[in-house]
Amino acid sequence: MSDSSSIHDSPPSPAINVGDSETTVANDSDSNAKCQTAIQSLSSIVTTTDIPSSISLLLDDDSVSAAISTLLLRPDSGSGDNNLCRWLYDTFQSSEQSLQLLVLRFVPMIAGLYLSRVPLRQPQAGFEAVLLALYAHETTSRAGQALTVNIPDLSHPSIYHESKGPTKNNSTCLNIAVISSTLDPHGTVRSTRRARIVGVALELYCSKISRMPRESKLNFCESCEKWAGQNGETEQSRAVIPTLSDDSWREEENVAMGGRSERDSGRIPLPWELLHPILRILGHCLLGKKDTEVSEAANKACQSLYLRSLHDINPKAILATGSLLRLREMALDPKNQVDHTDISNDAVLSV
Amino acid sequence: MHGNQSADFSENGEEEIIRQLCANGICMKTTEVEAKLDEGNIQEAESSLREGLSLNFEEARALLGKLEYQRGNLEGALRVFEGIDLQAAIQRLQVPVPPEKPATKKNRPREPQQSVSQHAASLVLEAIYLKAKSLQILGRITEAARECKSVLDSVEKIFQQGIPDAQVDSKLQETVSHAVELLPALWKESGDYQEAISAYRRALLSQWNLDNDSCARIQKDFAVFLLHSGVEASPPSLGSQIEGSYIPRNNLEEAILLLLILLKKFNLGKAKWDPSVIEHLTFALSLCSQTSVLAKQLEEVMPGVFSRVERWNNLALSYSAAGQSSAAVNLLRKSLHKHEQPDDLVALLLAAKLCSEEPSLAADGAGYAHRAINNAQGMDEHLKGVGLRMLGLCLGKQAKLPTSDFERSRLQSESLKALDGAIAFEHNNPDLIFELGVQYAEQRNLKAASRYAKEFIDATGGSVLKGWRFLSLVLSAQQRFSEAEVVIDAALDETAKWDQGPLLRIKAKLKISQSNPTEAVETYRYLLALVQAQRKSFGPLRTLSQMEEDKVNEFEVWHGLAYLYSSLAHWNDVEVCLKKAGELKQYSASMLHTEGRMWEGRKEFKAALAAFLDGLLLEESSVPCKVAVGALLSERGKDHQPTLPVARSLLSDALRIDPTNRKAWYYLGMVHKHDGRIADATDCFQAASMLEESDPIESFSTIL
Repeated sequence: MSDSSSIHDSPPSPAINVGDSETTVANDSDSNAKCQTAIQSLSSIVTTTDIPSSISLLLDDDSVSAAISTLLLRPDSGSGDNNLCRWLYDTFQSSEQSLQLLVLRFVPMIAGLYLSRVPLRQPQAGFEAVLLALYAHETTSRAGQALTVNIPDLSHPSIYHESKGPTKNNSTCLNIAVISSTLDPHGTVRSTRRARIVGVALELYCSKISRMPRESKLNFCESCEKWAGQNGETEQSRAVIPTLSDDSWREEENVAMGGRSERDSGRIPLPWELLHPILRILGHCLLGKKDTEVSEAANKACQSLYLRSLHDINPKAILATGSLLRLREMALDPKNQVDHTDISNDAVLSV
Repeated sequence: MHGNQSADFSENGEEEIIRQLCANGICMKTTEVEAKLDEGNIQEAESSLREGLSLNFEEARALLGKLEYQRGNLEGALRVFEGIDLQAAIQRLQVPVPPEKPATKKNRPREPQQSVSQHAASLVLEAIYLKAKSLQILGRITEAARECKSVLDSVEKIFQQGIPDAQVDSKLQETVSHAVELLPALWKESGDYQEAISAYRRALLSQWNLDNDSCARIQKDFAVFLLHSGVEASPPSLGSQIEGSYIPRNNLEEAILLLLILLKKFNLGKAKWDPSVIEHLTFALSLCSQTSVLAKQLEEVMPGVFSRVERWNNLALSYSAAGQSSAAVNLLRKSLHKHEQPDDLVALLLAAKLCSEEPSLAADGAGYAHRAINNAQGMDEHLKGVGLRMLGLCLGKQAKLPTSDFERSRLQSESLKALDGAIAFEHNNPDLIFELGVQYAEQRNLKAASRYAKEFIDATGGSVLKGWRFLSLVLSAQQRFSEAEVVIDAALDETAKWDQGPLLRIKAKLKISQSNPTEAVETYRYLLALVQAQRKSFGPLRTLSQMEEDKVNEFEVWHGLAYLYSSLAHWNDVEVCLKKAGELKQYSASMLHTEGRMWEGRKEFKAALAAFLDGLLLEESSVPCKVAVGALLSERGKDHQPTLPVARSLLSDALRIDPTNRKAWYYLGMVHKHDGRIADATDCFQAASMLEESDPIESFSTIL
């Protein structure tokens, strides 16, 4: 574990820094000013801990993140007049890349709280403003276009293989798959579009996932478990539910619902537009970078989602989550941990 | 790791393996040299090797380094390797570039000197490679990557013109293959993803003469990297592109291409089967919603890899995810056969679900659901609720088939019982709440239905369109039209413009029910504009989340308008609308029904009858046409007694299919009345009037 955490604590690799400096070099002073403003206004909101003076430190600062997370977890955190939400919104709108990363870091938590709180009918204009800003950003950067994938057909030669098949009519018989449909601008969160807007925010998060700190990924995995709801993981606690046919049990139920913890009531509908980015992010957490803690958490989230997809009998989700779980199992199997790049251990060494 | 292995050798050595160093036909035991190394005396170890095996300095060093590496003494190995000036050795090995640089590899001149230098090259390259490996194990990843990269760079420099296949030194090839495989892994580990991507591409697009298995491993690793690293790779450079060949544009495409190529290799027996490849492909293709491609791949996998049940079940999942339900059901029938795996819960539940969508299969589905319920025990007990839910859905669907009243009500009440049982397991599953509501609505228990409809909207936060539609239909059935309209207006507020079609259609119908035809026409007009705009502006790439379930098409709008005008007795307008609708869809029983109404309205009974009968010929079970013919015949039956039995049988038939059709009850009552069976007539009229008070403006079954 200490190994994996050191990867995160180390400064970002040079290749990434190069990309950053290229974009920021032009208006260095301007962006510096923006960052300073953001830091200053944050320090008026987060009072429990010291705010580091530079943005690059802020993204990886665990104590500030923890303080912000605590604020987000408050029951009224999503309201329209919430300072933190306003800060997140303003900071993202600054169109300063490092500041935007800082906001994206909290997307798992915001999305998690927001979606799970919807049935509670709390005012959540603050969260909605942040999510809409992310959605609008993605809409502009994609020009509203759909994201598509051409499923290759091996009868055509490709850069990685040769084929004796017909080469003339290439690209005509490819399967085009839409992985994210076209984006219409939205000024408010209409409830039937809620999943799409949050889904697009998660797509944006997913595209920057390699630069997200592990805490953020852990938050995401937690949110997933909450969204999946309880589908038999802790069977004992709710096995005793009275049989029906009279209506009395329903009243008991309602009482119970009022007192339910947020974890239990977090179950949300999971349409594909939400499930798709979730699965991509989980795939990264599970099989991307080697980080035991994150992949443990992702594994748990994946199990919850697998059970959920069984309950929904959603074949596409069963296939995707099932394959992730099996891949994880294979990766842990010592049989598959042979190092093929090691030299053979002959008893006879020769030149 | 290495230390352990060498320890193992001596410990469990029943017949102890004597490790030796060999060169030039002479062998010596490693122990002699190791003793010297352990004293930290590299020089002495080296000279004893040079003397004992008559080696030169570099050879001796290389051999020592390898020995240290194998012993797991990595620091020692590094010290030994650092004693050799590897770069200088490479410089010496480089053949001066011939002035006329051959453009292609094919017509290169075969120079004998190259095979001579191969041995020396192999020695040096292996030394650098082992240095990289040592650095890797010591955790100095970036340095390791640089060393490893220099192996490949050197190979390219030394053998600029390639090596004839037949002459490649096997040791050299081994080192090169290892380095090719190791380099991307090192860059990946060091966090330098861009270098990793170019190392992968270099490995796969240059000619390294890799064996199939290591090439397969690299392809798989790259595919996994593309899928999960979270870094978008830029498309491959132009240099690697052959004209007319497929070039992937993004990570997913490249990953899927590589995985498909791998599967093909496995199928041709060119590489060893790796079970993770099909799992990665499953994940990637499900993400793209292209499970039909996955199904094709699963079918092509060689026999013996999967058990047949496993293959059938995975195929069924793929086909059902691709919307090919009947193929999926057929496969599940096989895998759930009593001689295969009849108790597989996932297969049972999937089969039940697929069967619940099709009335003719619903009885089978109920059987699968029963088996699922019985098998949901122990660890799987939580799936009992799912089984019950599927049982309820199947029975509800089965009740839709024409059958006796007794059988129908038995099925309906059992369906409700099952769904109620399911909700005890899954009290917070909104889908189940919805299905329960619809089931109550179908049985005209509107109070319960509206309670569930509201509960569903609450639970989903109003995010699901069908919830709003359902509530408004229930309210319309309760004859609370203005409230229904409030619901629809609220829903319209929560819906983006393109998704509003089905809501507007309901709204128009609500206006009609409230005897407000002008506003109804207005709503239809708006709906028409919307649908037409949609048709024009939507490319094939626009998939609308919730619209897919219930798309309003232009035909429907014209037909709705025609129907509206027919109830206003504007027969000319009806004709215009019908003509428009007819241009979009030539043969439709419901349109013929409206046309019949038009003729009827114009008192042209022959033409009306012809239209209704055409409708029946087109769609045998069209209830509206049956009722219309029955109504016509019963009206005329006042004078022509012989037509009454025909009318009666038609109307009874309509009621067998749809027992809640109030018009059928009404006209059946008329038939009884004309025939003089007053008591029967009274019963029928009573049924009709009761139904009129609970008739939704659109059938509830349109919603599930």
